Amino acid sequence: MNTLTEKMRALARELLEKGEVKYIIGWEKGSLWYQSPPVFIDRPEDAGRLIWDEFCVNNLAKYLLDDKYLEGRVGLFVKGCDARGINRLLQDRQVERDKFYLMGIVCPGVKDPRQAAGLSIEQREEVPLAAKCLYCAHPEPVVYDVLLNEAGEAYRPKRPAGERFEDVAALEAMSPDERYEFWARQYQRCIRCYACRNVCPACNCRECIFDRSQSGWVGKRMAGSENAFYGLTRAWHVAGRCIECGECERVCPMGIPIMTLNKKIIKELNELFGEYEAGVSLEAEPPLGRYRTDDPDFS
Amino acid sequence: MLKIAKEKMPELLNAWAKIGKLYVPQDQDGVSNFLPWDGKGKLTLGQGNSVLPPKDLFFPRTETMYRYQRSGGALSLEEVVENEKQILVGIRSCDARSIALLDDVFLTKGYVDEFYRRRRENTLIVALACNVAQDTCFCTSFGIDPGRAEGVDIQVWEVDGSYILEAGTEKGRELLGQAPALLMEAGEGGLPEAPACNLKVDLAGVTEKLQQMFEHPFWAQICRKCLGCGLCTYLCPTCHCFDIQSENRGDSGIKFRCWDSCMFSEYTRMAGGHNPRPSKKERVRNRFLHKLQYFPERYGKFGCVGCGRCLSYCPVNMDITRIIGGIKEVDLNG
Repeated sequence: MNTLTEKMRALARELLEKGEVKYIIGWEKGSLWYQSPPVFIDRPEDAGRLIWDEFCVNNLAKYLLDDKYLEGRVGLFVKGCDARGINRLLQDRQVERDKFYLMGIVCPGVKDPRQAAGLSIEQREEVPLAAKCLYCAHPEPVVYDVLLNEAGEAYRPKRPAGERFEDVAALEAMSPDERYEFWARQYQRCIRCYACRNVCPACNCRECIFDRSQSGWVGKRMAGSENAFYGLTRAWHVAGRCIECGECERVCPMGIPIMTLNKKIIKELNELFGEYEAGVSLEAEPPLGRYRTDDPDFS
Repeated sequence: MLKIAKEKMPELLNAWAKIGKLYVPQDQDGVSNFLPWDGKGKLTLGQGNSVLPPKDLFFPRTETMYRYQRSGGALSLEEVVENEKQILVGIRSCDARSIALLDDVFLTKGYVDEFYRRRRENTLIVALACNVAQDTCFCTSFGIDPGRAEGVDIQVWEVDGSYILEAGTEKGRELLGQAPALLMEAGEGGLPEAPACNLKVDLAGVTEKLQQMFEHPFWAQICRKCLGCGLCTYLCPTCHCFDIQSENRGDSGIKFRCWDSCMFSEYTRMAGGHNPRPSKKERVRNRFLHKLQYFPERYGKFGCVGCGRCLSYCPVNMDITRIIGGIKEVDLNG
């Protein structure tokens, strides 16, 4: 057992015993060696289920929305991207900071269980870092109450910052027709399971337009045009608020490169409104969520 | 039994594709699914399960039921009848069982769904035996033989760089007869042994236990990590819920049905806003009770085939094998 797992368990047990939190959200081992799904721990004696390993891929921030009116606090483990998810929810006024206790983990990058399928545990080292971690610029949590490990060499970003938009550049190099064909093919595949929406900390509307198919805004028909309308609407809705945790693309069963769409918008926003990274600071307002009288369009 | 060299398979598919629209697992942008064969695709026969099950071929994601047109005071309806011949190549034993289960749903108990029936009767099924069990496979727990699929027209095995084919029905024999130049006699025997699944579930008594667990706190526990998306239901080969809606364009429009998911809040929302399954607790409970209690009660079979898709793809690993294990452990008197 690694020291981080030991620390997590000890701290969780202590918090639950002292009644400082009502329950803890962390990760546990699944049926297979490469699965470490989320777990909810209510009793100190269950703290031993908690685990930290390279497959703790899920962003746990979103679960705070399930228990907004809890009397008491929730204890939550946060990696770098999870912490940006917390800031997302705070900045969107979805949760109150005093309702949860954050246990930060400086993250060396995690691995996608789907990429480990078929390998034996002896091949553990061969599993590549999750795509979402390759361009991570914030392995250290940007918000926490206690930090469980310290930053160091191991936690440096795995790719130079300049590569953040390389997938976007590849698409920009296409002709408009090629690009249209590319995205049409992707969204033809979409099954509208809404996993990308439900896992996204920026998708925190109380009720989503896509859960109101009688509204007439979007058809329930699973067809390329309707699917693309869903994908585009979601991309615009998280514009300037996407924290780049990459969970949407990770969970998509149909392999739609959702982050390329999100990053294209981030790149455009950076060029139009200046460099901005969502969820890094509560003070810096999202470029599309602020209003300034010195805005060039204000007159 | 007949035989064809592995590299000749595309030629056989080309020959069959002239008889009907042929679907076979192919890679598109890194995702393996049953796609129409045009002779150029990247075959993924022999790899693990497709991401989407083949239910789409009988029960499409979206299908038009009829068209309507209003002119003056008159309303005219036009039925949509699909009669296209389909050939489905490369399904696994688990998916073959799922089709038998969908048959129970759509064709028995006093109502025949004509849309399903037409597609089903127009489809020839060619199954491919598994040589390897994926980490997430547990079909054998449901009495499924990964080495031989049930109710298919042709069974195929991959042996030493060749495919061995055996007809299981008259239609299958006819299909094999369509490409005599490509197939040679294989003789008897020499079939590979079916793989064993590492993952197993013990289903004894599960249905009976669930009949007493509707109000048990178990559901409030296991639902917590569920995100409430519909991924599991759409990737599940036996989930078959649909919605019927219309799309109006002025004086004309279509009535269509499309997949729906019991994991969505809208699924049970009634006129007036009441929702009898208001939270994910009730929705998660329904999904597992449907697979493990309601289906066995109605059809005498479990509504899960152990294909492992939900285990591989659920964003939070809602693991049905663990849930079955959890049900077994519940103390009803506790």
